[in-house]
Amino acid sequence: MKLFGPEHERVLSSLYGDGASEFDVLLRSFSAVLEAKVLPLSLGLDQGKGDIGQTRRTLFEQGLCKLSHPERYGGMGLPFGVYALAMELAGAADASTAMSIGIHNTVADAVAQFGSEEQRRKLLPSLLSGEKLAAFALTEPSSGSDARSMRTRAAKDGKHFVLDGSKMFITNAGEADVYLVFASTGAGHSAFLVEGSNPGLKVGAQLREKLGMRGSHTAEVKLEKCRVAAEDSLLGDEGAGFECAKKLLDSSRIVMGMMCVGIARTAYVKALAYSRSRELFGKKLSDFQLTREKLANSVIEMNASRLLCMHAARLKELGLSFTSEAAQGKVLATETSARTCDAAIQLLGGYGYATDDVHRHWRDARLLAIGEGASEVLRLLIASRELEPTA
Amino acid sequence: MNIVVLVKDAVDEAELRADPSGHPIQKGATTKMSNFDKNGVEEAVKQKEEHGGTITVLTLGGAESKKAMREAMAMGGTRGVHILAEPEAAPDSLGTAYYLAKAIQRIGEVDLVVCSEGASDTYMGQVGAMVAEFLGMPFLAYAKKVEVDGVKITCEQGVEKGVRVLEAKLPAVVSVLSETNVPRYPTLLQVMVASKKAIEDVQLSTLKESDYPVTGFEVLSVTVQPVNRKRLILEGKPEEAAKKLVEALRQEGVL
Repeated sequence: MKLFGPEHERVLSSLYGDGASEFDVLLRSFSAVLEAKVLPLSLGLDQGKGDIGQTRRTLFEQGLCKLSHPERYGGMGLPFGVYALAMELAGAADASTAMSIGIHNTVADAVAQFGSEEQRRKLLPSLLSGEKLAAFALTEPSSGSDARSMRTRAAKDGKHFVLDGSKMFITNAGEADVYLVFASTGAGHSAFLVEGSNPGLKVGAQLREKLGMRGSHTAEVKLEKCRVAAEDSLLGDEGAGFECAKKLLDSSRIVMGMMCVGIARTAYVKALAYSRSRELFGKKLSDFQLTREKLANSVIEMNASRLLCMHAARLKELGLSFTSEAAQGKVLATETSARTCDAAIQLLGGYGYATDDVHRHWRDARLLAIGEGASEVLRLLIASRELEPTA
Repeated sequence: MNIVVLVKDAVDEAELRADPSGHPIQKGATTKMSNFDKNGVEEAVKQKEEHGGTITVLTLGGAESKKAMREAMAMGGTRGVHILAEPEAAPDSLGTAYYLAKAIQRIGEVDLVVCSEGASDTYMGQVGAMVAEFLGMPFLAYAKKVEVDGVKITCEQGVEKGVRVLEAKLPAVVSVLSETNVPRYPTLLQVMVASKKAIEDVQLSTLKESDYPVTGFEVLSVTVQPVNRKRLILEGKPEEAAKKLVEALRQEGVL
């Protein structure tokens, strides 16, 4: 299966003009690596037979996390949209691996945007190379999209903070070397970098009954008298954690949307190939109008999702507000992905329903309409922007 | 050590379609670096890593060939020389070898020319030997293992039920096999750096001299072998059917 297609070439050309050919070569090369070293392991990861460390290492070695970060910290300084498109390809190759890397890189983004010079110098190169793995710990057992109601507390104790609380559904939990933990202090919500080896940070049992993303590690993270040095650990100003989380999630939603487009495309390509070869009533499945309607709708929605997410990415690159566009892109892409994967199952009929290699895409896609801002909450955000008083 | 590696931007055979008469549709077909040439580039890079020096990626082809050249340069090529020849004006194997050899002579001091066993689309397997002849260099074909010590090259060549060891003084031309090495995948950074490396464009007309050779044969046609499904139905209990399946696969040479 070719992961990089003419549609990617065209979206690069329309957004980046003359610079597109360089990105085209870059992403073509990246997709060749994904096709050879990640895609063949994807089904095994879903079935619990693989090691996500292996596929993640391939992406780290390729330099996926370096793409859009500054060169002075070991990055390549390329536009964010190129990273977003690379994440679509990664999602198409293996959703669990892409998810793990996407979350990890959100933490790298946090350090790059809000960290002190010392924190950046110390952490960023090892995060971008994958020498260290990161986890993003915002959600709690009783708070998800309503992050303001978090219960985890960070009490100041001299030059230290002591964190107590619990974080839920944490991707990369148990594997991560560093956790970005959000907790309430006297000044409001704050962000802390906590080492995975901190004796006060305990990882619960892996959630093995997940519907999808079965290749990635997900668990509860408990903070029990977790003592951290304020100077090393506090990311950004005390009390600025919520604003930090919001900014990070804006970018991350673009990435999650693009991953969903990738998941949808893989399911679609399988359905397209099947519809070309399956015969019934003396005709190819692809000759039926109702099949063509499903294929056409999938293509329309995937392209629209990709374009909206890439539009948000381009706004971010230009330094313009992109909060609403990122939310719109994620809502459209996640819902498109679920619909496209469902259509693929329908076209493959019994084979779609009965084999992991088809329905796993729907199971993977389903998470992303919940995580990083549920579709309902994002619609509220989009509508509230529309209802803001005009000048 | 100065190495030249020959790379072809070949038609992607996985994407190639045939017309109703069985002829492959060349026009508009997607291209990529010939799979076998990746082994050639890998061997060149390994030798450069061991002995230092430069790798010139040399290609004859249309504008699209730059993609394959950039890929070879991302794998470790130092610079590129592109002999421009759009598909409709492309010479045959002998002509191709002539132009490549002329370009190599212009590059200057070359210790080793590396090529692959053949192109993954046409698989004529002639160019490497012809280049060696034009350059007056020894040609070591189908090398499974290559060792260079600065003044000579030693290769292992697989023969039926054995290994033949060949040795020649440098400069020489060597062709490698797909089993000779495992081509590396360039990182995104290497791909980006490669996009800024120099590629010199050379016109065919500037290389052609009065000694241009005449080929003794022409390709009359290329057709695709039709693949028909066997639609074999094996009946009986699962154990019996499995045995029949194994037997059928053996007869087909799959097992």
